[in-house]
Amino acid sequence: MAALYVMIPIAVIIVALAIWLFFWAVDSGQYDDLDGPAHSILFDDEDPRHQAGVDEAQDDDKDPRA
Amino acid sequence: MTTPLPCYHCGLPVPSGGRFQARILGETRELCCPGCQAVAEAIVAGGLESYYRHRSESSANPEALPKALGDELALFDRADVQQPFVSHSGELAETSLMIEGISCAACGWLIEKHLRAMPGVGEAQLNLSNQRLRVRWDDARLPLSQLLHELRRIGYAGHPYQADQAAERMAAENRRVLRQLGVAGLLWMQVMMASMATWPEFNIDLSAGMDSILRWTSLLLTTPIVFYCCTDFFRGALRDLRTRHLTMDVSVSLAIGGAYVAGIWSTVTGVGELYFDAVGMFALFLLAGRYLERRARERTAAATAQLVNLLPASCLRLDQDDQPERILLGELVLGDRVLVQPGALLPADGIILSGQSSIDESLLTGEYLPLPRGEGDSVTAGTLNVEGPLTLQVQALGDDTRLSAIVRLLERAQGEKPRLAELADQVAQWFLLIVLGVAAVVGLVWWQIDPQRAFWIVFALLVATCPCALSLATPTALTAATGRLHQLGLLITRGHVLEGLNRIDTVIFDKTGTLTEGRLALSAIHPLGALDQDACLALAAALENRSEHPIARAFGRAPVAAEQVDSLPGLGLEGVVAGRRLRIGRADFVSALAEQPAPPIPGQNGQWLLLGDSDGPLAWLVLDDRIRSDAAALLDACRARNWQVVLLSGDSSPMVAEVARTLGIADARGGLTPDAKLEVLRQLHSEGRSVLMLGDGVNDVPVLAAADISIAMGSATDLAKTSADAVLLSNRLDSLVEGLAVARRTRRIIIENLTWASLYNGLILPFAAVGWVTPIWAALGMSASSLLVVLNALRLSAGGDQPRSRHS
Repeated sequence: MAALYVMIPIAVIIVALAIWLFFWAVDSGQYDDLDGPAHSILFDDEDPRHQAGVDEAQDDDKDPRA
Repeated sequence: MTTPLPCYHCGLPVPSGGRFQARILGETRELCCPGCQAVAEAIVAGGLESYYRHRSESSANPEALPKALGDELALFDRADVQQPFVSHSGELAETSLMIEGISCAACGWLIEKHLRAMPGVGEAQLNLSNQRLRVRWDDARLPLSQLLHELRRIGYAGHPYQADQAAERMAAENRRVLRQLGVAGLLWMQVMMASMATWPEFNIDLSAGMDSILRWTSLLLTTPIVFYCCTDFFRGALRDLRTRHLTMDVSVSLAIGGAYVAGIWSTVTGVGELYFDAVGMFALFLLAGRYLERRARERTAAATAQLVNLLPASCLRLDQDDQPERILLGELVLGDRVLVQPGALLPADGIILSGQSSIDESLLTGEYLPLPRGEGDSVTAGTLNVEGPLTLQVQALGDDTRLSAIVRLLERAQGEKPRLAELADQVAQWFLLIVLGVAAVVGLVWWQIDPQRAFWIVFALLVATCPCALSLATPTALTAATGRLHQLGLLITRGHVLEGLNRIDTVIFDKTGTLTEGRLALSAIHPLGALDQDACLALAAALENRSEHPIARAFGRAPVAAEQVDSLPGLGLEGVVAGRRLRIGRADFVSALAEQPAPPIPGQNGQWLLLGDSDGPLAWLVLDDRIRSDAAALLDACRARNWQVVLLSGDSSPMVAEVARTLGIADARGGLTPDAKLEVLRQLHSEGRSVLMLGDGVNDVPVLAAADISIAMGSATDLAKTSADAVLLSNRLDSLVEGLAVARRTRRIIIENLTWASLYNGLILPFAAVGWVTPIWAALGMSASSLLVVLNALRLSAGGDQPRSRHS
């Protein structure tokens, strides 16, 4: 039970930190566009680096069966 | 009639005998106009053709974007013009541009990819929610005008954007609401842990000291929820009480305030129940509901509200020596002489000093054919000069123009808009009266039985009956339905649309641009000589391809080239095709080439152009405004609902009667001014009718603003879009038919939700009254009923067919 005397203030401090972090994220505009990023991830397969990664993964899949 | 093939780029119908093609994604695709073709080719050439694979909506027609002239864009390179919206840091300049023409998420990808590939562009980021593009670029290497031009090439228009006060306030408000929601969520989790530990149901063997610490911790953590997150509820409740209304806000404030005060009491005295977790839960659920609703509504408002540019940004002023100089509209003063090129909007009201042309007033008056205007005629700001260059003397500017008069009419009309009472508020009023009544009776009874417990039981009753689910009922249903309609291409910008659509009994249609496509298309070719239709069209197209005239677009791309083409404003075109001298245009002008009398025009509707050579006339070409292919389906849907249909048009031509006859509209009136249209609406209102208005032009704006519910076409003028309650982005009338069905389903779901929420509150009331409800039961019941309401609302977004993929 004695641990609670430490844990409760720590919880309060952590939640204060979390709120500060959240305010910072809101103010830096991370929540301004909730639509764009959701879609842009789908277009990643045009990215050559991503494409290379996909190819590699497919090769890896095939290897054990070969 | 066969349905025309849709353009691969913009989805508009491809004119018969289409000549615009492009190779996209390995296939040859039909396109509707040279604008789409140029854009599609630019996209393919930039290696970005997978845009077409990703997009979920047709692109905007590039010719629907406002015209941009090269030297108008060049104005943006002037340092004094740039100063308000471009900031410099080191070598890079940074600016925000409003982007027009975005139809889906793939557009964002296309714009960002295209710009980032340009030399000199450091960063390009498009915010899809408000359609604003932030660019950082090296303006020594790439002037701003070039950047805007590049956007044009791929089919978008960029406008320098300066946040006005309203937009800034809205953005700040959004962030504040999000912060409130976040704080409520984060703190509620902590409060829940602390206060639940004190509940006897969990059987935790707490020492008295620990119990008191947990209570004080909960109080500490709940205080910001009440005073930071819930201020809007308290403020709303105060406002409603002053106007003697009992609304949801009053109910919610009572529950939150009550639970908080009871919590303080129990913390200080150490006896009684702790309801702090209920405070957090109410705050989180209610704020989440409101935030969702706000988000759904504002995304749409932001997209339409910021661009009200009915007038060109710049104009050509003639100086003493008749030399034109491009200046910003704001620099124009009364009495200036202005040169208006064909295809440009008139910047001010004025009188024609010289020149002969025709003026397209369709947006202002609804006339669908351009009207001839010459020296001495008065012309109006915001109309389009179609044919020849005109010199105007400026007679009225800014607020004094006829255009502004319509805008003022709009402001007056807005005040007349009837308020549709919201279902939820009506329910809330009864609900609150009943709860307060029961609470008073229960309080009195318990006072007699056990005065010690009376206080706690009344509080438990108030908390347990907090209309949490009740106030979530409407926002969640509306949010889900708004999202669903957005997929269909119907953008709801004001909240009352979905509920109100079910009360409509009369619908007013505009003609030009609403029931019809609002642009001239070639409807028939009547050969007069030896040549057949195709040969005549080829010759006509060859001539028209050399013309800037908007009519010229209707002809498609010519297989042969014309030489020595001369444009005679008000008369027509003359040129040489394959060694043959040809004329196209007015009958007397064309016949004069063969020195023959002009043949009479054989038909009535539309614009009849004669094609002829030196031997005589070759063919009549008829240009007309086509009725939208899905207009009949919409009218059927209206009739199926027993709505009275009225057609109001500013057009005074027989075309109005023709359209009404084709579509079977009994009540059609033509030649109406905006005032007269508004008068008709007042008449309908005085008969006690609820009116839905569908329109697109500036002349419809006052009626759009005053109608119970108004919907503007996606191709409408910006002013019409901002004054309407919803925008039909897709321009497809059949999505409206589906929208009506969604509205009906939404109402059913709202009623289901309200019923369930009231039922839950009704059921828990007796238990609370006899004192059986402890905080744990209140919390369980509340979350279960709220969850049920939310899940029920989600059926709306999942319901119906999946969004059609028309491009796969």
